[in-house]
Amino acid sequence: MKVQVRNANNATIIDCTGEVDLYSSPNLREALLKEMRLGGADILVNMSGVSYIDSSGIATLVEGLQFSQRTQTRFGLFGLRNNARSVLELARLNRVFPIFENEQEALEKIATTQPFGGL
Amino acid sequence: MRIVLSSDPRLLNILRAVVRYRAQEIGFTTEEADCMAMAIDEAASNVIRHAYGNRRDASLALEIAAFPDRIEFVLEDSGPKVPPEVLQPRSVDEVRPGGLGTFFIKCFMDVTSFDEDFPAGNRLKLVKYLSGKAALQDESPGQERQ
Repeated sequence: MKVQVRNANNATIIDCTGEVDLYSSPNLREALLKEMRLGGADILVNMSGVSYIDSSGIATLVEGLQFSQRTQTRFGLFGLRNNARSVLELARLNRVFPIFENEQEALEKIATTQPFGGL
Repeated sequence: MRIVLSSDPRLLNILRAVVRYRAQEIGFTTEEADCMAMAIDEAASNVIRHAYGNRRDASLALEIAAFPDRIEFVLEDSGPKVPPEVLQPRSVDEVRPGGLGTFFIKCFMDVTSFDEDFPAGNRLKLVKYLSGKAALQDESPGQERQ
């Protein structure tokens, strides 16, 4: 799995590529929490390159969402492939994550979402 | 088929690939095979985390047996017995990190059972039934397929 971080507009985008499992999810967690601790920018995780995600990867995303709640920043996902979307739906987490179809939509809409306060 | 691997999370992708391959080989769809691969991945991850405390130098064994109507997976480890409550699926109404692995296993497999009489370690059996068996009518349901 590869994790790369870049800025676009006022958001930080974390491009995640490959399989996210017990082995690789700590790398995603480290990148995510590092960016969140810097504060300020909205965080978007680009999932378009994620071919597999297990419960440890999902736990990492939930942790990011909870961190964003504490810091009153915005957090969202975009570009989910069918398998990742299905897994999130099964766990009913599609209702709690802001999920966007693609990067353009995510950048346009993330600023209009409320910092998550429902957890 | 029996595979023995060290309890290194780097090897989970191998386990997933074998499960996907074998499941598709005996007639499960790609989607079903992917779900089974995830179930086995979650079970093996539970072994690594809960039975071995993230040690990478222990071993786990996966046995795969295909029958005309089902595929069976048996995952064995030699760690301390894991209390069943540790592996209870949590409610998906809770939103918190962790605890979803067992939930996914139960979603994706038809039967999950721990062998409580397994003498040393933990032995988990997972079964998935084929939905269409038309091409397999000549085989006995109890006969293992090669």
